[in-house]
This record gives sequence, C-alpha cells and structure tokens, in this order.
Amino acid sequence: MDLAQARKIVEEALSGIEARVEEGRGFIEFIVSKENLVEAASRLKKAGFDHVKSLTVVDYKAEGKFKIVYYVSSYLNEDLAGVIVGIGTEVPRDNPKMPTLVYVWRSAEFQEREVFEFFGIDFEDHPDLRLLLLTPQVAEKRPLRKDFIVKEEPIIRTTPPTG
Amino acid sequence: MSVWVYGEQKSELGLEGTITRKIEEDLYEVFIGPQHPGSGHMRIIIRIDGDIIVEADPDMGYVHRTMEKLAEGREWIKNVPLFERMAIQDACNVTVSYIIALERILDIEPPPRAKYLRTLLCEINRIAAHLYGFGIFGVFIGHSTMYMWSFADREVMVELAERLTGARLTHSYPIPGGARKDIPQDFPQAARKAVRYFRRRLEEYRKIFLDNPVTRKRLEGVGIIPKKIAAELGVVGPVARASGIKYDARLAEPYDAYDEVEFEVPVFEEGDALARAWVKFEEIKQSLRIIEQAVDWLERHPREAPIHDRFWAKSPPLWKKVFEAEGRVKLLPLMANMKLPPGRAMARSETARGEIIYYVESDGKSTPYRVRIVSPSARNAIVFKYIAPGYKVMDLPTIYGSIDYFPPEADR
Amino acid sequence: MAGIIDLILSIIFYPPIYQLVLVGLTGSLVVVIFIIWFERKATARVQRRLGPYHIAPRLAGLPQLVADLIRYAFQEVIIPRTADRELFVLAPIVATVLSILPIAVVPLTSNPAYWPIPMDYSILVALALTTVSPIFLIVAGWASNNKFSIIGGVREAFVITAYEMIAIMSILSASAAVLTFNLVEIVEAQRIWYILLNPIAFLAAFLSVLMATSGFPFEIPESENEVVAGPFTEYSGLLYGLNMGAAYMKRFAFSILMVLVFLGGWSPYTPGEGILSGYLIPSLIVVAKAAILMMIFSLTRSIYGRFRLDQALEGAWRLVFPMAVLGFGLALLEAYLGVM
Repeated sequence: MDLAQARKIVEEALSGIEARVEEGRGFIEFIVSKENLVEAASRLKKAGFDHVKSLTVVDYKAEGKFKIVYYVSSYLNEDLAGVIVGIGTEVPRDNPKMPTLVYVWRSAEFQEREVFEFFGIDFEDHPDLRLLLLTPQVAEKRPLRKDFIVKEEPIIRTTPPTG
Repeated sequence: MSVWVYGEQKSELGLEGTITRKIEEDLYEVFIGPQHPGSGHMRIIIRIDGDIIVEADPDMGYVHRTMEKLAEGREWIKNVPLFERMAIQDACNVTVSYIIALERILDIEPPPRAKYLRTLLCEINRIAAHLYGFGIFGVFIGHSTMYMWSFADREVMVELAERLTGARLTHSYPIPGGARKDIPQDFPQAARKAVRYFRRRLEEYRKIFLDNPVTRKRLEGVGIIPKKIAAELGVVGPVARASGIKYDARLAEPYDAYDEVEFEVPVFEEGDALARAWVKFEEIKQSLRIIEQAVDWLERHPREAPIHDRFWAKSPPLWKKVFEAEGRVKLLPLMANMKLPPGRAMARSETARGEIIYYVESDGKSTPYRVRIVSPSARNAIVFKYIAPGYKVMDLPTIYGSIDYFPPEADR
Repeated sequence: MAGIIDLILSIIFYPPIYQLVLVGLTGSLVVVIFIIWFERKATARVQRRLGPYHIAPRLAGLPQLVADLIRYAFQEVIIPRTADRELFVLAPIVATVLSILPIAVVPLTSNPAYWPIPMDYSILVALALTTVSPIFLIVAGWASNNKFSIIGGVREAFVITAYEMIAIMSILSASAAVLTFNLVEIVEAQRIWYILLNPIAFLAAFLSVLMATSGFPFEIPESENEVVAGPFTEYSGLLYGLNMGAAYMKRFAFSILMVLVFLGGWSPYTPGEGILSGYLIPSLIVVAKAAILMMIFSLTRSIYGRFRLDQALEGAWRLVFPMAVLGFGLALLEAYLGVM
C-alpha cells in the first residue's frame, strides 16, 4: 500500500471532519481542529491504525503555534503497516492545552508525558501526567521549545598550553 | 494514586495476570535502581504485596542527553556520531534511518553497492546487539555462562565491523547518498568464517541456555503480552514479534537492500519471555543468511565508489585516488556544512531492539529545524508499567532482560 | 624432649581442638580457598576464559583467594547508622562459627581414643547443629534494616524451611538402614558405600545441600539482580567476607557429613593405633573426599541459572521431599532385608 491509497482510506474514515492534508516524504498527515481531534483519532483507530509510532511536536515560533502530530500505523492489519499516517492539531504557543489521546491509543501515554515535559503542553485528562525523562529544574525551562537556546560551552584550559 | 488504578487499567485492556488482594497500605515499595545491579541506568519503582508486584513505575531519564535539542545545533551530518551514542553496538541500524530521511529530503538514492554495504553492516550490528542482549539477559537470570559466551562471541562481530569500517563501535558508516568504505579484499573469507563459526556456536547457545531446563522453567509463561495488547501498547521489535505480530520495518517499508536479499522474520505466538529469547535467537540466524548474501553480492559486482554521483562527481581527483588505493570514500567538505532543501521526511529502520523512527524537518539551513527520534526501547518501556504487575519480584529481571531494554537508547 | 613433643601432639590432636580448630577452621579455610579457586577455574574453562591468573601464574592463580581474603580483612567495615549495631556485627560471626560446629561432633576415625564426643547419638547432634546457623543469616538481614536485606532474609527463611526437612530425612535414612544413630557404626557398616545402596537419598541430600548453601540453581537469597546481595547487602569488609565464607564452610560441614554417611567415611583405610594411623590419615581421607564432593557441587554454577523462589520451593516440596521420603523408605526396606 502506498501513501495515495492510505490517503483515500483515511479521508473516507474522516469524512465529515474538516482536515488539512499535508504530505511529507515517507508519511502523510491530517491536521484537524483541537475539538475534532479525539473524534478523528477514534475513527482512525477503527479504520485499523492501532498504535502510535511517534508523537511529534514542532515549535513554529514565528507563527506562534505548536504542531502536534500523532504518527500512527498498524500492527494487526499488515496492509496498513507499510504507511505512516499522522493525525494532529495545532495549538497556540502560550498556555498550550489539548485533549489527551491516551484513551484512544494507550501507546501514546509515555510520549505524551515526554511532550509535556519538553514543551509544557498540558494534556487534559491524561491519567498520569508526570515528568518522564527530565528533572523538574530542567523541565521548567521547556528545553525543546525554540526559545531555549543551547549555549556552546567554552573549552576551559586549566593549565597553560605547553610547548 | 491508589494501587487499584493500575489494576483497573489492566483489566480494561483485558490483561490476565495473578489477581492480587486489594491492599491500600502495607505495601512494600522497592526501588530497583538506578544504582542497582539488576537495573541498568534506570529505576523501576515497584510496590509489592508479599512477593507479587502490584504496581510498577518505570522511571527513566538517568542517561538522558536531549539529543533532539542538541541535533538542532549541529550540521546535518554531524548528528550521525551523536545519534550513534544511543546504542553504540548497534550504530549502523540506529543511524541508517536518519540518513534515509536526509536522502528523502535531498531526493537521492544511494547506488546499489552502498545499499548492500549498509545492509551488511546493519546485520553485523544486529547480531552484536542481540548477543549483548543475550548476555545481559543471561546475567539477569543468573546464567553467567551465557553472559560470558555471548560477550566473547560478540567480539567476532565487532571485529568484522572493524574490518569493514575501521571502527569497532560507533562506525559513522552511512552518509547521505552512500557509505564510507568498501569492503577490504579479504573481507568475504573472514565474514564466511565468522558465519560458519556462529552457526556452530548458536547450537551450543541453544543447548546451554534456551533448552536448559532451569532457564525454560524461569522464562516460560513470564511476562506474557497477548497479541492484542502488544498492538495496543505499541511495543516494537522482538517483543512484538514474540507476541505474534508480524511487523518488521525491513518488511513494512524495505530500505537499503532488504527488498533484494532473502530472509524470514521469525514470529512466535506465545508472547512470553522465552518466546522473546527465541525470536532474538532466530533473528541471529536470519542475519547470518543476510550477511552471506550481501557478501556474495559484493564479491560478484565490480568495485565502484559506494556514493551517489551527485557527490562523487564533485570530489577532487585526490579523493578518487584514495578510494582506489584504500577503498575509502573521503568525506567531502561540502557535506560537512551541506544545506538541505526545505522539507520534511520520516524514515524507519529496524534496529536489533525494534523499529526506530526519525522525523526530520529542514528549513533550508545547514542545521535541522527539528529532529524527532522515537527509539525502540522508549516505546517498549511501557511494558514495565502494564505487564510487570501481577508477576513475582523475581520475574522482574526476567521481564527486563527479555524485552532487552537499553536505557541510553530509551532516554536519547 | 620427646615428652614435650608428645605433649604438644596430644594437645593438637585432642579431638575437640583438632576437629574444631585444625579441621574445622584451618582445614575448611584451606579447602574453601581451594574450592573457590577450583570453582572459578572450572567456570572459566566452561566460559572460555582464563579465570584467576595474575597472582602466581605458575600456580594458575591459586593464591587469588588469599589476596581477596587479605583485602576483605583490611577493608573498612561500615556499619550503617540505621542498623542494629550489636546484632549486625554479631550475626555473621556467630553464623560462621555455628556453620563449622557440626565438624566438631562427627567422628573422623573409628579409634575410640580420638572421638570428640561419645558417639551414640552423633548423627542427631551433627544434624541438629547444621540447623542453627541459617537463623543468623535471617538475623543479619533483619539487623541491616534495608529492604533488600529483609527480602533476602525472608527468602532465606523460605529456603531453610524447604531444605532442612529434606537434609535431615535423607541423611537420617542411613541410620534407618543401619538401625543406629552412631556415625561410626554407620561408617563401619558400609561394606558397600551407602550411595550405591540408596542413590535416591544421596540425590535428595545433594540437592538439599545445594539449597542450604546457596549453590546454583538455588542461589536465591543472594540473587544479585533482585536483592543486590540479599542479607549481606549492607555488609562490607571482613564481615562480608565472613558471610560469604560461612556458606562455603557450611557446605564443607555438610560435605563431611555426607562423606561419612554416603561415601564410606575413611574407607578404604582402616584406622589403627596411634595418632598417625589412628587419627591423622583417616581424617585427611575424609577431608579429601569432602573436597571432591564440593568440587562436584561447584560445577553447577556454570551450567544453570537460578530458579525463581516459588519454583525452588515447589521443586523442594513436590519433588525432592518425596524423593527423601522414598529414600527413607528404601533404607527401611534395606534394614528389613538386612542388606547392610
């Protein structure tokens, strides 16, 4: 199955929900509004996309928004296993909140926790929204947002160069 | 949060385990890790009722390096050595999908020779990583012989990789549009010898470990993940395949030479720790087959620079001389601060522990705008939370070892 | 001059001193050093590596354990603030002493002049003494006040309840066959070694000793990957060394008991008069046989992993215990038929 066929299947499943389709190389993604996200995700799950491969958030600082995309695929349906389909939404950068999809895809649980600590996106109704990888001090700085800038640490010479 | 939440979540998923009494208090909380001989660089907080785990909370991040952020500050190709640090004995498998994603943005396809070379190294790495996993698994269930054997035999594969790439670990072998070195003249013989050796040794592994009555007793029926739940939890790699899910990134979306070589994907139905060990065992056999085929192909076909013409055409004559003399593709300076056209790409590859996914976004600069990595161990970590409860404390190392959880890879 | 030598000899070979200090303490230390070396070397051979090597390569690293011992002896002993100080220190010492105590009551010769105690109930006394030391491992675990120690201690307790009955039952089957509690009579009665007459009891005893001394596949209370070092998690230095040594000394004591009961004791030698032929030679034969038995014990390390606790207990109660009962029944049958 190629992406064109997958697009047809997903568009059929999402009929009635307004979605913006974006194609990347190796995947296809459908951006829906925040309100429709849970409904769209449930329909995708019914269509056979049974697990989340990657929960990807990109910070578009210039446009003042986060793009949150759940890239899903299928294990049980071997036809769908060859494609990666994204279902996602956009939320504003200040005070980002969105509904959780843990109850649709349990496999998103840890990745939502990860996004929570790296971007500070609050997943409402997430059963266990705690820090996963970071310490509280680091997580406060929201390290993966674009306004967190990694400074190159200067090389400090403790002894004068010889020779 | 009460203990019962996990129990309910478990029954909601239809998981069957040992039913524990509902006890709100008097639970013993044991911190397995991070300075614990049976944990590696992670912590699992378990609450036990008697000898039974009622709640397990994997606490990761002890070797976290924020690779996704670091990658945004580096030139495209300099990220390869960085990402390799996730799983150094599995370096090629881990980085090849990043390279494929870059190639998709660049819209180039490596020449077939480069594809076979990458495939060859990927399989060598896969065997080395599986042996590492076996060793750790062995020591987790107290089987020191398995540990010593597999770590000693891993050396064979590491040396093979060294002959091919010049580095024992962290080879930085694949580059956009190709690979960095052709095989040396004496490589095919060495590879075939190693394959023969491994065929013989695997039989001994089976006798002392997989068919050992004590080991079998220890592994059978432990950490069962039924097929439906495996799909729901989104586990990957050998863990999924041991639960009857026929999914392998090499099959689902063949990359490199995997659509040309012959191999099978071992799938087991039981879903327990023993099945996971068997999957890895059978995968080593399949990797040996692929190595043989790749070596045959490379021997049959004439030597040519294993890199895309777009780069090779631009390289100065000295580069070509070096290739003829040493079989080495010198890295082009233009590649170091190459600018990628704006675009987004995703690629997946099958590492030893499962599928790794890269999402790469370029905004036309010489550094990535965003790289998202989802590594197999990160996806498998959820197993601790949902599968470990209901089993005994002594089963925790078995579950840990059987899913081959690798903290540096999970933490990224 | 001769009088003084005689006096010294009579002091050294005064049975309680000889058996407790020379065989029990020094002998077991030497044997344990040798056995641990052998265990390491044999395991290394299976695992295709060298094993101890760098200390005295000509002796194939034999003094490695002496070096380890010195290290343990001079290492700082850290007592955690939360531990129960007195018990924490006392438990390993008492456990070590008690684990070699059975050696002090068994006969190492048939010459009555060199019996440490009157022999009439010696097998019972020896078996009773083997059951005392494990309690102090539980005490050690409890006194450490550490979760891993306590879990390890509880596991130890489970394992004790499982193996003790088997050990006592299978070793006592000899006294059922010969109809006496006198170890000397049991040894003397073995024209054919008892292991050949009752292999079932021997197998049960073998497994129970493996369980008693945390040998693989029953290395459960100290299982590193779950409970760090079990009851010994908080121990360091000499106290840790004592704890580790205690298991081997216990195995040595059990081995001596098994040699007397199953492997014909000092046979084929017949003890005569005098210190040399009446005491030293037969006792050395017993120790040598015990060492060989321990070498066999140590081979399991390279073959097996460890059982889960419940599997070990299930195996002990469902399989080995009936085996011990069967062995006992076989012994009674043999007594009825007058085989021995």
